Amino acid sequence: MNRIDTLPPEIELAQLLQKCAAQDTAAFRTLYDKTSPIVFARLLRMLRRRSVAEEVLQDVYVRIWQRASQFEAHRGRALAWMVTIARYCAIDLMRRERMTLVSDDSLGEIADDSATEDGGLEKPNNFDYCIEQLNDNTRKCLTLAFVEGRSHDEIARLTTNPLGSVKSWIRRGLLALKECLSTERQAT
Amino acid sequence: MKSANRELVDRLAAEYVLGTLRHRARRRFERWLLSPQVGALVKAWEERLAGLEPQLLPVFPPATVWRGIENKLELRKLQRRPVMRWVAIAASLVFFAVVGVFVTRGPEQPQLASTQQSFLEADPQTIYWRVEVLGDNQEISLHVQNVHDLPPGKAHELWALPEGGGAPVSLGLMPHTGDHHRVLNAAQRAALANSKQIAVSLEPEGGSPTGAPTGPVLLVAPLKAV
Repeated sequence: MNRIDTLPPEIELAQLLQKCAAQDTAAFRTLYDKTSPIVFARLLRMLRRRSVAEEVLQDVYVRIWQRASQFEAHRGRALAWMVTIARYCAIDLMRRERMTLVSDDSLGEIADDSATEDGGLEKPNNFDYCIEQLNDNTRKCLTLAFVEGRSHDEIARLTTNPLGSVKSWIRRGLLALKECLSTERQAT
Repeated sequence: MKSANRELVDRLAAEYVLGTLRHRARRRFERWLLSPQVGALVKAWEERLAGLEPQLLPVFPPATVWRGIENKLELRKLQRRPVMRWVAIAASLVFFAVVGVFVTRGPEQPQLASTQQSFLEADPQTIYWRVEVLGDNQEISLHVQNVHDLPPGKAHELWALPEGGGAPVSLGLMPHTGDHHRVLNAAQRAALANSKQIAVSLEPEGGSPTGAPTGPVLLVAPLKAV
């Protein structure tokens, strides 16, 4: 397999996960082939270093295999579930290693990871509207934390804002986002 | 959960999912994930924040990654004889379900080998219990190393924590003196086989009335192969 034109359908991934739960190694290989380029891209975005991201990618798929039976097809989306496992693995590594996310030589190879036209993970209803309601600083802080795995300290340094402000924007931003999504959900 | 507590836990859940809850605070919060209520708050935040996921161009990992996964999970062994493996698992489950109930260990029985152990500790200098898993998760031995504080009317209960956030399964109450030995039932064995961690929670005297941890989780420790 050399390229992925579109994201694999959710239903197919959910079925593959079910087979993994029954110890079907061929299904696991298929699942890996279909999803690892997306998960790897996500890890690179957070961890920056290719060699580190490769190691964490192994841990991610070990967990996916071990936890496949925990995936609740009726609740969640398979790819989002796997990406969440990847994010937590990356954060765990940063926590263990007290890793500081500094740029290195491998940054160049991921600098152009621009958005694709279609695909991507499904957003909650009205998410775009709700995120637009936040001020620029807050939106930037939330994005740096979630997408790049930056800590409060790193965000303060990167955005040259006081740490207290960053913490406060994040706290208030999360509350505002929750409130907006819940209101919009009720309205729809 | 009281509403003030719920607000605090919800805030922590949000920062846990966002990734800004770090270091010890993150580790402490992960212990709370055993609670279904906390788990539900985390899931809700995972769904909300999924909207922040960037759309990235796929990057293909090198073949060495898959080989590493294969080795870690010993997938080639599974591939070789999948049918026999299921037969073996089914046979052992039936055997233990039927026979395990009637087994009472006497001195004449051969001692099972210790296969895993875990140190339930506040820190490496303060180990409260050493837990040994014997044989193929058939039995456990509990060794009291230091006496853990216990308020009146309360008990310490041991739990197997299945991988991936499955419901904890009780392995019984913890002793406070000496060495104890316990034969596990089929459900406990199955839970332990799927667990890499165990935990001790504070429960009412006699143990959790619900079958799930109801009090705070005091200690969590990994099970390590001996």
